[in-house]
Amino acid sequence: MALDTPVIAPDAPERPAPTRPPAPTGPAAAPAPDGEAAREPGIKLAIRDLDLFYGTFRAVREVTMEIRANEITAIIGPSGCGKSTFLRSINRMHELTRNATVRGQILLDGTDIYAPSVDAVDLRRFVGMVFQRPNPFPTMSIYDNVVAGLRLGGGAAKADYDEVVERCLTGAGLWDEVKDKLRQGGTSLSGGQQQRLCIARAMAVDPEVILMDEPASALDPVATLRIEELMLELRGRYTIVIVTHNMQQASRVSDQTAFFSMNEDRAGYLVEMDRTAQIFTNPREKLTEDYVSGRFG
Amino acid sequence: MNHATEPAGRPQEPLDRAVEEIIARVEGDIPEPMRSVPRLSLDREERMIKEILLRMGSLIEERIRLTIEALETHDAEKALFVIVGDEEINALQLEAQDLVVLTIATQAPVARDLRYLLALDRIGYELERVGDSIANVAKRAKELAPEAPLDGHVGIPEMGRLAAGFLAATMRAMADSDEAAAREVSLRDDEIDDLYHRAAERLVVLAKDASANVERAMRLLIGARYMERVGDHVTNIAEEVVFLASGKHEDLNP
Repeated sequence: MALDTPVIAPDAPERPAPTRPPAPTGPAAAPAPDGEAAREPGIKLAIRDLDLFYGTFRAVREVTMEIRANEITAIIGPSGCGKSTFLRSINRMHELTRNATVRGQILLDGTDIYAPSVDAVDLRRFVGMVFQRPNPFPTMSIYDNVVAGLRLGGGAAKADYDEVVERCLTGAGLWDEVKDKLRQGGTSLSGGQQQRLCIARAMAVDPEVILMDEPASALDPVATLRIEELMLELRGRYTIVIVTHNMQQASRVSDQTAFFSMNEDRAGYLVEMDRTAQIFTNPREKLTEDYVSGRFG
Repeated sequence: MNHATEPAGRPQEPLDRAVEEIIARVEGDIPEPMRSVPRLSLDREERMIKEILLRMGSLIEERIRLTIEALETHDAEKALFVIVGDEEINALQLEAQDLVVLTIATQAPVARDLRYLLALDRIGYELERVGDSIANVAKRAKELAPEAPLDGHVGIPEMGRLAAGFLAATMRAMADSDEAAAREVSLRDDEIDDLYHRAAERLVVLAKDASANVERAMRLLIGARYMERVGDHVTNIAEEVVFLASGKHEDLNP
């Protein structure tokens, strides 16, 4: 499947070949046909009949979709329709919530991330997350914030930390602003800089997928545009999934857009997923049209 | 892992407090039933633009009829009224265009709303061009007013009547966003084209017949040509109606 997105910038840093979560074996292994389909080139994540629960309440119903590699996929939809719950299920953060359960499959490069043989902590190295409010570790310096994930999860040798810090802060468009104050606290930065620091921290462990939950909603318009530009620079190297309430943002940055809604049962479901240009100019579903044009929600 | 078997959309148990709190923390909100929300100011602005265009359409329709009368009755004054009146149509087009720009800037329209506004903007442009064409026919009518008629004006009045009806039907299709009607009326352009070709052939014969005919034949040929262009612009308007309704670009009369 050909990608029509810009290719990696020529100066993109080489990334070491990652060690993936072991492919599940044994009786709980993902059924082969699904696995085969998900290994289709260009498809990074294949979600199959996904249901997400809080106790007995079903927050997300029967979502089946494919997320393309090295593209930006935006998830839009009204408040409380399960967008964030869905996003958190992609790096198994959903299960950290009390009584939360999962049904269905999420295949990362064909491997079911919910297979018993997959360790959730290992998985989060491949699938990083950036949250709505920038959350640098408050007592750590800028430098230590970037390498925090490496220290916790292993990976690069300590001798390589300087290189990682420069590479990730450069990648996050922050290096020039902070290179002379790497030992200052991460919380000394502005909100927009803190969010880019969090993106640098997510990049440090060499993830393949970066999930962003309304990454710019707490930022002013200039810092927001800076984050959007950064996303466009990262696209081509990472698969990015972003949840956003800001439809202009979704239309500006994403390649694909998925629209979630809900019925009377208040369980979120996928209404339509398509190229972003299609969703914002001539979507297939009337409901999508009404939502993106601000007439429903 | 098993898969969901319950029918989709079945009401669930009411949320208990603890679950509500969890959802509010994760989602930033607890689910509320969705509802239609009208966009009153966007709708109002779209309606205002449409009204300006409808006014332009009916003004132009009237001007086409006046031009035919001016030609048939050799009324230079009536022709002059149409020529001077073109300014009024140009001003309306600018008014519509400014309102389109303002609406896009302030309402951030997408999907159908965006197509609608872009189509209305282009319809305004095409109407302005129709106005120019008619003013041009009126100029020929003014020049020909003192002259003796040549062969019943070689079908230009008939072309004009067809064009006026074609324009009115297309503007109705625009008002109703009626794709099917736009497609249907666009076929009328063929009749105008046929009349034009017949007029052109006839004028060549008349010019060859007598040198006294040449000057009038030239003026009539230019007039017929501009009247024929009216049909082309109206066809473009019909194509915009198809675009605003369906999002598809289509050549309605290739």
